[in-house]
Amino acid sequence: MKKIDLHLHTKASPISETEFVFSLSKLKEYVEKLSIDCIAITDHNLFDLEQFNEISGRLGNTVLPGIEIDLEKGHLLLISENTELNDFEIKCKQVENLIKNKAEYLTVRQLKEIYVDLAKYILIPHYDKNPIIRPEIIDLLKPHITSGEVTSAKKFKYCVNDPNSLVPVLFSDLRFKQEMTEFSPRQTFIDINDTSLRAIKTCLLDKNKVFLHHSEGHRFFQVFENGQKLSTGLNVIVGERSSGKTYTLKTIAAMYDNVKHIKQFELLETDEENDKKKFDELLTTKQSSVSEQFLKEFKDVVDDVKKIDRIKNVKIVESYLSSLLKVAADEEKKDVYSKCTIFNDSKFIETNNETLKKLISSTETLIENIEYRDLIDKHISKKVLLELVVDLMKKYVEVQEKNQKILWVNSLVINIKNELQSSTASAHIKDVAFYTILLEKEKLKKYETIATQIKRERTIEQTDVRRFKIVASTKIFNGAQELLNKSGIRATFSTAFNFYNHPIEYLEELKKIDRLPETEYYRYFVDVKYRIINEYGAEVSGGERSEFNLLDKIQNAHHYDLLLIDEPESSFDNLFLKNEVNEQIRQISKAVPVIIVTHNNTVGASIKPDFLLYTKKEIVNSKAIYKIYSGNPSDQKLKTIDGEEINNYDILLNCLEAGDIAYTERNQSYEILKN
Amino acid sequence: MKYLKIENSKGYYQLEPNKWVELDQIGKDDLLTLLDKAINDDFEMDDFDTETLGHKAHQIIYKHLYQKFNELKENKNRFKDESEQLYKSAIEKYSESLKSEVDSQNGN
Repeated sequence: MKKIDLHLHTKASPISETEFVFSLSKLKEYVEKLSIDCIAITDHNLFDLEQFNEISGRLGNTVLPGIEIDLEKGHLLLISENTELNDFEIKCKQVENLIKNKAEYLTVRQLKEIYVDLAKYILIPHYDKNPIIRPEIIDLLKPHITSGEVTSAKKFKYCVNDPNSLVPVLFSDLRFKQEMTEFSPRQTFIDINDTSLRAIKTCLLDKNKVFLHHSEGHRFFQVFENGQKLSTGLNVIVGERSSGKTYTLKTIAAMYDNVKHIKQFELLETDEENDKKKFDELLTTKQSSVSEQFLKEFKDVVDDVKKIDRIKNVKIVESYLSSLLKVAADEEKKDVYSKCTIFNDSKFIETNNETLKKLISSTETLIENIEYRDLIDKHISKKVLLELVVDLMKKYVEVQEKNQKILWVNSLVINIKNELQSSTASAHIKDVAFYTILLEKEKLKKYETIATQIKRERTIEQTDVRRFKIVASTKIFNGAQELLNKSGIRATFSTAFNFYNHPIEYLEELKKIDRLPETEYYRYFVDVKYRIINEYGAEVSGGERSEFNLLDKIQNAHHYDLLLIDEPESSFDNLFLKNEVNEQIRQISKAVPVIIVTHNNTVGASIKPDFLLYTKKEIVNSKAIYKIYSGNPSDQKLKTIDGEEINNYDILLNCLEAGDIAYTERNQSYEILKN
Repeated sequence: MKYLKIENSKGYYQLEPNKWVELDQIGKDDLLTLLDKAINDDFEMDDFDTETLGHKAHQIIYKHLYQKFNELKENKNRFKDESEQLYKSAIEKYSESLKSEVDSQNGN
């Protein structure tokens, strides 16, 4: 088994990162301390041969030349054999010359032109790591890409188990500078005997040959540079007060980017009113999709109706009528122009063919459907359907043709009318589209019905979250202040609210509020409120809110690479921890590594962890030394990295049960009570 | 019901049975009411005829209104189709969700 790290930086790219002074001694310390068998130097868009030779000379043949290339807006590691170095340098120089600023990158074609035979190299894209190389780019580079870089043990494990993922690799991506104090434990173990490029390349074809740990496969990963491992499942840290438990958790949290850390007492309510308000706000934000989903159709209606100008429509009718009456009254005054029939002719209206389109598409669905073919055939033959669709299409063509003619005639009529009207003082009849006016009136009528209906308060969704239920209900607005709170803008809603029960006028008033975005009018008709109820259907208490928060945070830990929980027993009772929390933690630990610090036997023992760690503080020469003993929960002894041992039974009794005597006494008391 | 008629060389309209008004008296509210009728009711009119309708001014008004109402009558089915489809999914969604709420309250 060899340990490799093929993503290291020894020189800053002048265009993409801050300058740093490379420390060869730190790199050497890293390789030795973490027992790394093979490294690759992969600087951004450059390869410094002179520096490479210097590093190689000091570290022996464990060093491979490489480059991290900006490729199609992602990053790609390209690693070469450590022979033909001059040729590799020339090629990398071309990359350096092509990428002169942050916005520039290589295309796949350029990459192939520069490196010609990609089979000579190992190509590793940023896979589950930003900035990623997009899947379609990876496809273009197959078969040369077989593995992809990820950022955490969780992602590594996921890729190993997912048949469609590339072979995962985990590398440190470190920049070696003098001021470094600790090293990342992100490396990959591969099942090979030598560290030649060819051997590594062969290994990276096979998921069964890459590991997070040298002897434990993917069940464990290295967490500290000293080799301390953790389970990729559920870890429990126990220890006396001030023995370094929380410190250990904080150190881990600082080492990883994407960690969910639930701190001690974090979820306990301190100011009930304020906490409830914050909780409600959080709930509303988290559940906003429920509200959007409920109001979706109403939004479409409002978006359509808001374009209607009711008053303008009345004015159009009015002006049509007055022009008509005037023309009638002026009959005697007609001249040669106004006597023409076309002078007062109105436009044709086009035929809307939307219904025809829908009919054609529906008939086509009936013709093409395979799933329900037998059923359709039972009632109507395909031949009839084909005839129908042909007839519908003919009709469609006919309507289209007629519309084309109408368009042509209308434009001609308008032109002639305009000419005639400009040549005479006689009044003319204004044109009016009664159909549109009537349709808009109908739209308003329907909108009024919908707007009234939507304001009837109701429960729109209930979601079960363990023993709680999130209930989303609609609620009407009770005043202008509520509208103002909803909007979050500085505006006056009092006039609008006076018309709240008259949807048409209300919408007209909302339109008058300048600062109110017109795409948001639909939000001011009914509000959606969320509340959590417990299993008895009652509103939750402060304590229950904290419980809900904890369960919710654990549930959401799926999005993170690590979940850390510090002494949950400080905020919750044992029954809740045992019945609700333990099971959920066990579930999530199947996907995300979990580390819990605890003193509590319910959490520490009943949860049945995969790995147990015991922290201990020792004073040596007036100086505190923190030690970590670890092992499987069933092991007789827990061990430090240096091989020191401690009795597991004593530890568990001391840390979780307050010692052997207290444990025995407690058991006796329970027995007496029971009998 | 008939809404436009020609009688004694003049044009008339009515909004209610047997309340005929001379065409030059028509106002915008009356016109809007007639529009609703033209699309919804059984809307009848005397055919436009310059021989029976001698009054020149009435001729002009009658001719135009006749044209417009005829257009609407021709599009009556299209209007009904369109109106039926109008915001259909919204109406169904909000009345359905209300219905299921009422049902669940009634224990159905």
